[in-house]
Amino acid sequence: MLPDTATNRGQMMVRLIRIASRGLLAAAFSGLLAGTLAQGVAAEEIVFKDQENREVRLAKAAERIVSIVIPMASTVIALDGSTSKLVGMNPTAKSAVTEGILGKIFPEAKDIPSDVTAPNFVPNVEALTATNPDLVIQWGGRGNDIVAPITNAGLTAMLILYGTEELTREYMTMASTALGKPERIGELVEWRDRVQKDIEAKAKAIPEDKRPNVLYVGRALSDITASGTKGNYNAWYIELVGGRNASAELNGTVAINKEQIAEWDPDVILLNAFEAKLDVDWVYNDAILSLTKAARSKRVYKMPLGGYRWDPPNQESPLSWMWAANLIQPDVFKYDVRGEMKTAYKTLYNYELSDADIDDILWTKQQGDAANYTQFKVE
Amino acid sequence: MAVVTQDGTAPVARHSHIARQTAVFAALLALFTVAFVVSLCVGRFSVPAGRALELIWLGIINPARELASIDERIVLLVRAPRVVLAALAGAGLAVAGAALQGVFRNPLVSPDILGISQGAAFGGALAIMLGIWGFPLIAMVFVFGMAALILVGMLSRINGRTETVTVILSGLVISSMFSAVVSLLQFVADPNTSLPAIVYWLMGSFATATWERTLIAAPGLILGAVLLWMLRFRLNILSLDEAEAQSLGANTTRERWLVFGLIAIIVGSQVAVSGIIGWIGIVIPHAARLLVGHDHRALLPASVVLGAGFMVIIDTLARTATAAEIPLGVITALVGAPIFAVLLRNHYRERTGS
Amino acid sequence: MIGLEDAIVRFGARTIIDGLSFSVPVGRTLAILGPNGRGKTTTLKAMLGFQLLDAGQRIAPEIVGYVPQTGTSNQRYRAIDIAVMGRAAHLGLFGQPGPNDFAIAHSALEKAGAVRFADHFFDRLSGGERQLVLLARALATGSEALVLDEPAAALDLHNQERLLTLLNALRAPRDKAIVFTTHDPNHALTAADDALLMMPNGQPPLFGPVAETITPDHLERLYGVPMRVVEIDGPSGETHRAVLPAFAGIRAA
Repeated sequence: MLPDTATNRGQMMVRLIRIASRGLLAAAFSGLLAGTLAQGVAAEEIVFKDQENREVRLAKAAERIVSIVIPMASTVIALDGSTSKLVGMNPTAKSAVTEGILGKIFPEAKDIPSDVTAPNFVPNVEALTATNPDLVIQWGGRGNDIVAPITNAGLTAMLILYGTEELTREYMTMASTALGKPERIGELVEWRDRVQKDIEAKAKAIPEDKRPNVLYVGRALSDITASGTKGNYNAWYIELVGGRNASAELNGTVAINKEQIAEWDPDVILLNAFEAKLDVDWVYNDAILSLTKAARSKRVYKMPLGGYRWDPPNQESPLSWMWAANLIQPDVFKYDVRGEMKTAYKTLYNYELSDADIDDILWTKQQGDAANYTQFKVE
Repeated sequence: MAVVTQDGTAPVARHSHIARQTAVFAALLALFTVAFVVSLCVGRFSVPAGRALELIWLGIINPARELASIDERIVLLVRAPRVVLAALAGAGLAVAGAALQGVFRNPLVSPDILGISQGAAFGGALAIMLGIWGFPLIAMVFVFGMAALILVGMLSRINGRTETVTVILSGLVISSMFSAVVSLLQFVADPNTSLPAIVYWLMGSFATATWERTLIAAPGLILGAVLLWMLRFRLNILSLDEAEAQSLGANTTRERWLVFGLIAIIVGSQVAVSGIIGWIGIVIPHAARLLVGHDHRALLPASVVLGAGFMVIIDTLARTATAAEIPLGVITALVGAPIFAVLLRNHYRERTGS
Repeated sequence: MIGLEDAIVRFGARTIIDGLSFSVPVGRTLAILGPNGRGKTTTLKAMLGFQLLDAGQRIAPEIVGYVPQTGTSNQRYRAIDIAVMGRAAHLGLFGQPGPNDFAIAHSALEKAGAVRFADHFFDRLSGGERQLVLLARALATGSEALVLDEPAAALDLHNQERLLTLLNALRAPRDKAIVFTTHDPNHALTAADDALLMMPNGQPPLFGPVAETITPDHLERLYGVPMRVVEIDGPSGETHRAVLPAFAGIRAA
């Protein structure tokens, strides 16, 4: 599933093509930003190119940011370490923030307006203008209709693209730059890089026949969706941690049926964190899915919901990779996920995560008896 | 008056007519049976055809049997309800279309044109937004489908008269209105949960078919189709001009609404479990007319069999052609629109020719 | 018995029918005569119950055998299937015609002289042939009343003659009340017992036996054209009356 994004396949294809064509650019993101910044701009002025290659010019560090993009709301909070710079967000992001752990860490987040946009990213210009934002973060690659209302109102928009780790690091860096805290992103990117390299090194030795087929179910309750590998973030980290994308033959995110899942017969099933009513019983109570290898070996897991849902790229992604690594390759990876979470939450939100918080995030109550899940219990 | 044929040829003509109808129905039933059985034997999960047939047989002789193995469950719990639901929905939509075209005396109307589908979709979308599932959802689908129809009826009644063209235009108006409200619901829907469910709804699919869903839809589909079939001679009367139908003893207004109500039950039941499926209600009755003629006594059963077979074939393509489910609406439009174009040309060519 | 009693029909401010009374008992045939626009069609509709009356009463059996000028032809039914539709009122909402109904329809086609195209498609028949099928359907209703809307309007002289013969054949058993509308007073003279003349300028319509109503004076007022009635000897010695319009101002003596 593409989080909080396209239900429209056409739009998605367009975006995938754009992402592919931007791959090279993205690889050199840090250099590009450094170059732009070095061009002798006025003392406080911040100028950079966004992922639609538009110039974003801020007179000074942004103090009032609206994120129409759903996961960026929590990312802005993490980058700033507070909610004070976030003055507006998507209603869907707000529900994730207030219902998840961020609502506990930052109770004042419930007062941030969410009427600035419809859930489908069409801005409400009047409500948006009323928040008097310095910067509005909006999706790129989805046409000008959702961007023009922002720029026409004289507001500054920063457009970002969805999909890969490279793009994620790039837009997180941009947001950090816009906040006037370029140093802040350094440690976050460094963390991502370190964890990624560590996983890559350990996974390299895993022989092909030891890599389990992992199915990430993007949507389950209305129809069932799964994704191909190209440009898909879930498939990317499944392969990163030594798994194989069970639905690799698909193109993009599409509807599938249970018969197809039975045919793939995945070794591991990951359920999305987006559908609140979805839990592992959806698999175990199903006549067909309960007969898959994953169900019979109790390797069905719902993605955790931390500062944001762990399925899509966000500020907590390395935790998501380590969690997945321990479950997909339990013999290879032995990360102390609970310890890593405590450290990360301290860094990201300056928050001391309690054991009960971690249990909630990892759904240990709901899926504690799943295979290899005892490792996540308090010792 | 011109003598068209010699006396005495009539009985021969009648016999050849009956023989032809019998042959057509036999062919249609054979086509449907083959489509139905083949459909149970194919799917993304490979079950050998012989094994699938054996499983179906076992399922028929002992429905309460414990299903332990995956192939049994695939055939009897995934494919069977899906194929049965597709057949019922196809039959229902086709017979509803045939009846509707009869009472409107216009071969171009279909439940989508009358706003029933859009109204029903709105009911469904609203129910999803409100978190309503199961029977209450079906009730909402039905109520709004019917409401759309009633609005069309009221809007098109001018000075106590209802003209076909005003009904179709009113249908367009009401349809657009309901699709606008559905768009509004999509606009405010949560893109993670209710929006995909609504979009899924609008695209139409049998992918989530279970015996439970099939049993939810079946009573409405079967009741509607059977009652329409019982009205088959009356539909012949209602397909005449208003004055003629009345002179033959039909209470045209009341009986037309009875037909509309039955159509709303069929479409509501179908939309409730499998979303909006276009084209069937217009293409199948046309094809059936070419095969068995306009007489509703033959047209309705032919539409039922042809609609069921066609829907089963289309859905089998949708679920087996690729690993992904192809949206039904895409296939019905791709197959239906060209067929319809050809039928339409033939229809008018014949008419201007005679 | 079919007819109207003090019937009034208004379209907006215009009164189309004003206090019209007439009745046709079983065994008699009425011709409604008049040029277009005098309410012939409205009178017919009122009799059939398709036109609501603003005042007055309609006298009619529950089902009236109605023969429209042109039948519905956008549906392709066989002539026998059209004829059997006449049985609808006897079959009810969910009823289906059985062998007995088809037998009735078949004999109605025979009576109407349409049996030879019983298995032909209605929409492929000529206008005159269609009319015979529609007549058969009206007969198949079994109604004691038969109403024909301009049955001769679209027919050439030869077919007019056949139609009038047919109407007389239907009249002969004296078991039906028959009403037809026509432009031509000769049709009334040939096939009707009574005539209803739709007079101009709000004058009350004239209703009465053909012999009293079809007179040169009445017809001249009716059509605004001088008329004369001539007597012609029939083949078997009987006397026929015929109406001749005196076009171009030639007033016959």
